Amino acid sequence: MPPKPASSKPKGDYIETDTGNKVARRSQLYGTQNIILGGRTTIQPEVCIRGDLVRAAPPKDPKDPKSGASANTSVMVGRYTFVSTGSILRPPHRLHKGTVSYHPLKIGDHTFIGERCIIEAASIGDHVYIGKGAVLGKMVIVKDWVKVLEGAVVAAGTVVPSGCVVGGRPARVVGEVGDGWGMHEGMEGGDMRELWRSVG
Amino acid sequence: MSFPYTYISCPCTDVSTPINGSTEQNDDEEQERTFDPRSPRANFSLYTLEHLLYCEDCQQIRCPRCTLEEIVTWYCPNCLFEMPSSMVKSEAGRCTRNCFNCPICIGPLAVTSVHPDPVQRSLLGPWILSCGYCNWTSLEIGWQFKGLQDMRSEMGKLKIGGQYKAANSKTSASTPPTESTPDDDPDSVFTALRSFYNSQLSSSNATDPLLTPSGGINYSSPSSLARIMSLYTGRSSYGKKDPAKSTPMRESVDPSEGLQIFDPASDTAAIEKLRTQGWTSTASTAQQTEQKHPPRFTSDLRPTQAQLRTKRSKRCRTCRHILVKPEAKVQSTRFRIRLVALNYIPTITLKPLQPSPSTQLPLLDLNALPVLRASQFLLTLKNPLFDPVKITLGTPAHAPGKNSHKVTILCPQFDIGPNADQWDEALGDNKNRRASKLLSTSKVEYVGGERGKVAEAGKVWEKGRNWTTVVVEVVCQDVGEDGEGEDVLEIPVFLRMEWEGDTMEREEGGSGSGGGGGLKGEERKEKRELAFWVVVGVGKVGRLEGPTLAASP
Repeated sequence: MPPKPASSKPKGDYIETDTGNKVARRSQLYGTQNIILGGRTTIQPEVCIRGDLVRAAPPKDPKDPKSGASANTSVMVGRYTFVSTGSILRPPHRLHKGTVSYHPLKIGDHTFIGERCIIEAASIGDHVYIGKGAVLGKMVIVKDWVKVLEGAVVAAGTVVPSGCVVGGRPARVVGEVGDGWGMHEGMEGGDMRELWRSVG
Repeated sequence: MSFPYTYISCPCTDVSTPINGSTEQNDDEEQERTFDPRSPRANFSLYTLEHLLYCEDCQQIRCPRCTLEEIVTWYCPNCLFEMPSSMVKSEAGRCTRNCFNCPICIGPLAVTSVHPDPVQRSLLGPWILSCGYCNWTSLEIGWQFKGLQDMRSEMGKLKIGGQYKAANSKTSASTPPTESTPDDDPDSVFTALRSFYNSQLSSSNATDPLLTPSGGINYSSPSSLARIMSLYTGRSSYGKKDPAKSTPMRESVDPSEGLQIFDPASDTAAIEKLRTQGWTSTASTAQQTEQKHPPRFTSDLRPTQAQLRTKRSKRCRTCRHILVKPEAKVQSTRFRIRLVALNYIPTITLKPLQPSPSTQLPLLDLNALPVLRASQFLLTLKNPLFDPVKITLGTPAHAPGKNSHKVTILCPQFDIGPNADQWDEALGDNKNRRASKLLSTSKVEYVGGERGKVAEAGKVWEKGRNWTTVVVEVVCQDVGEDGEGEDVLEIPVFLRMEWEGDTMEREEGGSGSGGGGGLKGEERKEKRELAFWVVVGVGKVGRLEGPTLAASP
């Protein structure tokens, strides 16, 4: 994604790409070739995305023929998704046949990730709201329309079904989102166009 | 809690309002009364907008209290598999697959292999359950599983410590009461007791009193006579057995019949354990409630099966129409019917109107609102309807609570445009170009920021396509060092909306006020109104300080 400077501010805090992604200059993206931003995605300053942790087996393993060969996607972020300051997106890994293998991290559309979150989930759905300081453990699956409360620690391997509110350490289901979740602009879990527009 | 917030009070808690949906209130007293968000009752009627539904037939807001729920699907939150409702009861609402929760932290447990060769771990057992959060494993209670297929039934046979239960009724019958360690597992004790009492009951009144053992009808026995008499006289005395007359039953006498003899050694062992291991070894209430048979010590806790969750449809309690009906499939997040209040009543947002930079007043901080100085807020109402809406806002002059903060809505009556298609507007005349301005909730606004605009009484602050912003002025009183929650400023606002909506199609002539003789293509308009209380949480009132007082004009 070739950076295209915004027309009004040539040296703004954000780099806006052709597809409308707004990526802060002060964010740390590793392995950018493995990161796919869906368009109109916002990456705030001090966000760290570890795109370098890809599925390919580490090269030190001589038995695996495909070692280090195919560099595929490691982080996929959907449209209008907002990643707040200080968050870390790190693809999850697990021991598979004695070797560490990374899995891609997929994040859906209109999802909000609060400040200083640590995300190691395998997938996060659409219209998900993740509160400040939440930790999503390895291989967590968060379905659509979920609210993760502030400071929640979602234990590794948890599946959060759609329409749930989870919180606590370890996180468990503490409630359900309203039936109108995700329908309204400006609400938690709602449409995020407005938030995207206000950035940069 | 983060400020600002908006809660809507469902009218169903107001018992004076007729439930059948007519919003007319003739009672003057009712109209005099204002809503108090601090009253204990208010807790039960305040909801965020997204939790509210709207019944089109009753033309009223519906909250979780005035809807009925029906279960559409049962599913496991862990594996997302649907469970047929016929199985739910027999499985006690638990997942039958390998979904278990940690007994210590109630997080999910993962199945992992402890095969000595790390390469073969993904294929071969033995398997254990391990918690990714607190690092508990089933090895702590000595559990290992041979196969992945039926871990649940294997778990049923295992005792704490890893031995298999010896107590199949057949095997225990063959090895009679001599067994030195009676099975103290509550489940097997219960099954033994139940089978014992079942056999006792069936032997005490083995047959129907009307039938002789040979199969014929026995009219002469006193019990059958009593029964026949009760049938004819209509007295139901027969069904109630006199407890004094009930046949004496033998109690269980040996462990195979579920007898457990109290062993004083177990008590001393428990006391000894408490003494040596202390408080940390005892199970907490939260841990105990998860268990089938609450044990005393954490070492006796077992992994629990994941509890099923449900997808539910909702009906209006008054007219029984369906308001929400999700698709039955677990994975789907779509709805067949979803009548949420978001599509019918305006969304209400509040944001501070910052003082003009030239006055050099500090910016408004919602967690420390200035005291004894007027602060202004922008109250924005956004219309989701396709018809223009007339809004009347009312608020008590003083916010409820001990400290009467003065509240004024500068423009209590205004209109909001329809939520029409954006194309209509683009193709329309250009004089309303300003109205196409997008509502931006995140932008900071100042007094006199745009073309020196200042808040004026009776005038709206700004208007957009389907939204209108008015100014609310608040003068906070000094709250002092009052108790908890006294410094929170909440404004109750009575919102009344009037609009002309389309009448429902299935109403045949006559009832429609528009009087368009029931023609199909003709749109008839009907005057509608809806009124409810809204509570806007503005922020916390700050402390009165010397410099602040001096700076206030």
